[in-house]
Amino acid sequence: MRYAEPETVEEGLALLSTHDDARCLAGGASLVSRMNAGQVAPAMLVSLHRIDELATTTESAEGLWLGAMSIHRAVATEARLRGAMEVVRSAASQLAHPAIRNMATLGGSLCLADPKTELPAALVAASARVEVAGPAGRRSLPVEQLLVGAFQTSLGKGELLTRVFLPRGLGGAVGHHLRFSRVSADYPTVSVSLVLAMDGETCSHARVVLGSCGPVPLHVDAADAVLVGSRLEARDVAEAGRLLVQASAPLDDVRGSAEYRRMLIPRLLGRALSQARELAHV
Amino acid sequence: MSDKVSLSLTINGAQHALTVAPERTLLDVLREELRMTGTRRGCDAGDCGACTVLVDGLPMLSCLSLPARLGGRDIRTIEGVESGGELHPVQRALVQHGAVQCGFCMSGIVLAAKALLARNPSPTLDEVRHALGSNVCRCSGYARVVEAIASVGGRP
Amino acid sequence: MSHDAKPKPVPVPVGEVVGQSVPKPDAREKVTGRALYTDDLVLPGMLHGALLGSPHPHARILAYDTSRAKALPGVRAVLTAEDLPPVDIGPVIKDQPLLARGKVRYAGEPVAAVAAVDLPTARRALELIDIRYEVLPAALDVDAALRPDAPVIHAPRGEGHPNVATHIRLVEGEPDKVWARCDAIIEDVYETPAQQHVYLEPCTTLAAVDPDTGRITIHTSTQTAFRVQAITAEALAVPMSRIRVQVPRVGGAFGGKVESTNQPITVALAKAAGAPVRLTFSRTDDMRMMRSRHGARIYMRTGATRDGRILARQVRIHYDTGAYADDGPFVAAIGSYFSRGPYRIPHVDVECWSVYTNKLRAGAFRGFGNPQVHFASEIQVDRLAEALGMDPIELRLRNALETGEKWLGGAPVESGTLRACLEKAREVSDWHRRRERPSTTSPGKRRGLGIAAVGHVSALLGSSATVRLNEDGTVNVSTGAVDTGQGSDTALAQVAAGALGLSLEQINFSRPDTDTSPYDWCTGGTRTTFTVGHVITEACEQVREQLFEHASAILERPVKQLELRPGGVVGVRGEPGLSTTFGAISGYALYVAGGPIIASSRWLFPAWQLDTRRTKVEGLPSMGNGFFVFAAQVAEVEVDEVTGKVDVLEAWCVHDVGRALNPAAAAGQVQGGFVQGLGYALTEELVWKDGHLVNPSMSGYKVPGALDVPVAIHPVLLERAFGPGPFGAKGVAEVGVVGAAPAIINAIRHATGARLNQIPATGERVLRALLAHEAPATKDG
Ligand SMILES: Cc1cc2nc3c(=O)[nH]c(=O)nc-3n(C[C@H](O)[C@H](O)[C@H](O)COP(=O)(O)OP(=O)(O)OC[C@H]3O[C@@H](n4cnc5c(N)ncnc54)[C@H](O)[C@@H]3O)c2cc1C
Ligand code: FES
Ligand code: FES
Repeated sequence: MRYAEPETVEEGLALLSTHDDARCLAGGASLVSRMNAGQVAPAMLVSLHRIDELATTTESAEGLWLGAMSIHRAVATEARLRGAMEVVRSAASQLAHPAIRNMATLGGSLCLADPKTELPAALVAASARVEVAGPAGRRSLPVEQLLVGAFQTSLGKGELLTRVFLPRGLGGAVGHHLRFSRVSADYPTVSVSLVLAMDGETCSHARVVLGSCGPVPLHVDAADAVLVGSRLEARDVAEAGRLLVQASAPLDDVRGSAEYRRMLIPRLLGRALSQARELAHV
Repeated sequence: MSDKVSLSLTINGAQHALTVAPERTLLDVLREELRMTGTRRGCDAGDCGACTVLVDGLPMLSCLSLPARLGGRDIRTIEGVESGGELHPVQRALVQHGAVQCGFCMSGIVLAAKALLARNPSPTLDEVRHALGSNVCRCSGYARVVEAIASVGGRP
Repeated sequence: MSHDAKPKPVPVPVGEVVGQSVPKPDAREKVTGRALYTDDLVLPGMLHGALLGSPHPHARILAYDTSRAKALPGVRAVLTAEDLPPVDIGPVIKDQPLLARGKVRYAGEPVAAVAAVDLPTARRALELIDIRYEVLPAALDVDAALRPDAPVIHAPRGEGHPNVATHIRLVEGEPDKVWARCDAIIEDVYETPAQQHVYLEPCTTLAAVDPDTGRITIHTSTQTAFRVQAITAEALAVPMSRIRVQVPRVGGAFGGKVESTNQPITVALAKAAGAPVRLTFSRTDDMRMMRSRHGARIYMRTGATRDGRILARQVRIHYDTGAYADDGPFVAAIGSYFSRGPYRIPHVDVECWSVYTNKLRAGAFRGFGNPQVHFASEIQVDRLAEALGMDPIELRLRNALETGEKWLGGAPVESGTLRACLEKAREVSDWHRRRERPSTTSPGKRRGLGIAAVGHVSALLGSSATVRLNEDGTVNVSTGAVDTGQGSDTALAQVAAGALGLSLEQINFSRPDTDTSPYDWCTGGTRTTFTVGHVITEACEQVREQLFEHASAILERPVKQLELRPGGVVGVRGEPGLSTTFGAISGYALYVAGGPIIASSRWLFPAWQLDTRRTKVEGLPSMGNGFFVFAAQVAEVEVDEVTGKVDVLEAWCVHDVGRALNPAAAAGQVQGGFVQGLGYALTEELVWKDGHLVNPSMSGYKVPGALDVPVAIHPVLLERAFGPGPFGAKGVAEVGVVGAAPAIINAIRHATGARLNQIPATGERVLRALLAHEAPATKDG
């Protein structure tokens, strides 16, 4: 195995192109774990930790750019992630366990594209975009277009993820993340990420995204539409839940059967909405 | 065959120059190359916390860390917790409270607790429980461990 | 009112050491990381071992080709069953080869072993081993294994279904005749999972063969140096005298390290490679290759009269022992023996099967067959209380065995303190108030309180100890007992200190080594403190006699006027100024008269022969029983109605420990046991799909973390000193795990009305039970 530590994105791209089986190394939490278990043995590891650009956070009028190498802990303590963007902060502060949050990164989470993980769903809820650098230059795309399947991204050969853009979102909106897991230090059985805005008792904006309910984060426009304009009463939640269940293809594993996850969807949706609603009122 | 990488690690304040295969983890290097066996291997997958070390003061899992990336960073292992032959208060508290059973989890727990106390000298029981979120102890049931750590900061 | 027997006088310790929560002397090296576990040891030229697991749950081995693996640079030995003596091992039934021979019986079963210069090379070599299999139909659960046409897993050993490893029947009274007299009868089927030990230190062995003498040295993580010596000798056809076993620090065991782990195969590798070999399992190999608790299905029916007298019980237990019997026959024996519970039930019919399946072997695990039957029994007793409209504690009190009454099979209960435990539990948990008005909670959550009564056993089998006086008056104590972290070294040193009036600094407690330590069977079965403590007190008593004999000469007073005084002093009663020290006596013995002061003691816990006039007995393997111990556990839970997830908020564990030699250590056992029981109750379960383990990792298989358990687990230690344990101490190590699950499940029922007969009570199972309970169509419950 070869190993390199580029200092710029361009150097990194050049290194990635030298090997068919080159892999980026971000926090390493998942990649090294899989290497230890003999599940992967990349011919070349390109560590991204020396590329300053990837660890930079920049703010603009429209929102916040987070570098791909931001560790979860840094995201969790980023005070500028408020309002709708809070959904990402909330997810980053709760996921996995402390030592993983001190190591694993935003970019690694996205590029791993593990359906059990939480940041991908939170980023979809936040309407995030990602910037990808490749041999042909840089492009930006909605995060949904990056996540194409379980453990599958649309990154081309020799491409890498540089940063993530979080739009400020609607004024008055709140972001919230609810995870449900067997024990605290476990992947969630189901996670709910949402952005919500209320106009008095009426929901004026909702974007609900579920983790572990399909190969990619589950987002159903029609479910959001049921909630918007409603007073988030039990039957509205049930109807939105029904639409989400209908569109879901939940995981079926030791953390819960697919059927249990289908049962949890409307139930956790209700809880997440009422928690978010309380946040919206403070 | 793997390429080797040469690196220099700062462990407990001392410099170590090493040449290792890049896929060797920090845990491998500590236990096998440097024979610092106080850092334990319980799972090699990020699930048990027995291999916890502090990197720049933060708990990290040495089984998931490639040392090649840790050049220039301050790595603390259990071997570097005592100072001048004196136990760290958290070590003393764990001994005094009878919190130690088989001890296999203890290196990781001591380091996680030390990191907590460094930023929060007087944690509540709940804050201690959260700080131990990465560390499995199969023997103690945690109660005495949590109480011992909280006692260091003066909380009961 | 309490019916405790007046305790017979038990010896009183001299000095202050017994009963103090002295810090364990090994705690310091554990918090500094300096403690050495087996994987921390290195020998010159040491190789690394690894095992290849079977890819099939049941298959015939047609051919091996190890040539590619052997050709890999750095590989020093490759072994298959063809390279090993054709020996099968097993504590009761000799059915396990070291490496699968002829066929594989579970997915993951070791089929080949490699030693190489480093672990990556060893693992690469495993991938180069080619084995051709003919896949056989597999029996993947007890039902499938018991079908008449089920695949046969082992060559039949006699009559009956070939997949039945053990069959036991115990009948007392005339159960068939009394059901009609019962006013309430509850009948259900209960299921418990294959829980795994998940000791934090995976199994590990370092073995070396001396090239000059052929002598084998084993360093290993085990609960028993002597069993490892015996099993390795048997498996490799080597005399025991050629094997030395030493035990470094052990990173947890809980029963998982009572039989051999990977010691014999590591020795075989070391012999074949002509170099020391260390074989440390990866977590996943440990989980798929070692053992688990027996999963069980228990049919139970219990009947009582209106006034709460339990009259009859029928029990049918099926333990899934996996591909090998291992300790399964003992587990079945204990399960049968404890299935009446700690109650006086005159009419009982118990039948128990331990059944082979094509899965990981099940063996010893803290509680040893008892958590399974207590789960069934304690839930059923709660339901009976409901049916009778009685308070659950009240019903238990009415039926609790008292001192002098008989256990199932006729063994006497010598210290029947269940009543005291239940009464104390009722008081400390504020039972009545919490039961009637569960504390309020947030919306969507419900709280409830549940109890379980526990009867268990301590002691079992043989131990010995040697106590020797040093020239300076300090004492060396040797036993073969392994401290697996539970603190027995400390408690036993305290026993010796208390027996001779010494301080702990004056006791040197030696570590187990088959070359030098006196025999001890095993650290297991809640026996070490009790049994080894007993022999230590006996040996100390002999040392005291020798001391007094010489002191009598030195002080010129008759022996009967002498007394032990704290600090290693023999004095004369009524003459405070007249005394001599152990050091002076030792010098006298060494140089003047008598010779060195030394004593040893041995003991085999007297096995109780079941009273066959009273009990009809079939198939119970002979084993020593032990001394009955009692506890009561109360748990308060909160159930999330949205997800079904259960949180334990608080627990009270009342244990009669006889005498708390080291209260902090005993409390630690109680709390640790409760939390293992909490995991058993709520999350822990090995899961198979098509014969393959789905979750052999600490990510898939979840043990509780610090955030999943309350800090408020209150250990309440009753000290009803009695019996042959040291100063009246009784065992506690396993007991804490036994009642936790039923207490928690009973609390869920109290909180929600939902009935669960299966653990772990995962969110999914609890939610379904909640919905079933709330569904208007259901009539019962
Ligand atoms: C024990 C454990 C428990 C966990 N629990 C949870 C949990 O409960 N919830 C949760 O949400 N997540 C959980 N995770 C996942 C974690 O949050 C991260 O998602 C994961 O570890 C990946 O992040 P990383 O930085 O470590 O990436 P790496 O492991 O370094 O990389 C992951 C993959 O992404 C690729 N990659 C990384 N960065 C880039 C880039 N910039 N461009 C292109 N490709 C890239 C790598 O090549 C690799 O294939 C857990 C992980 C572990 C190990
Ligand atoms: S060994 Fe690193 S977390 Fe278990
Ligand atoms: S003391 Fe054994 S794992 Fe914690």
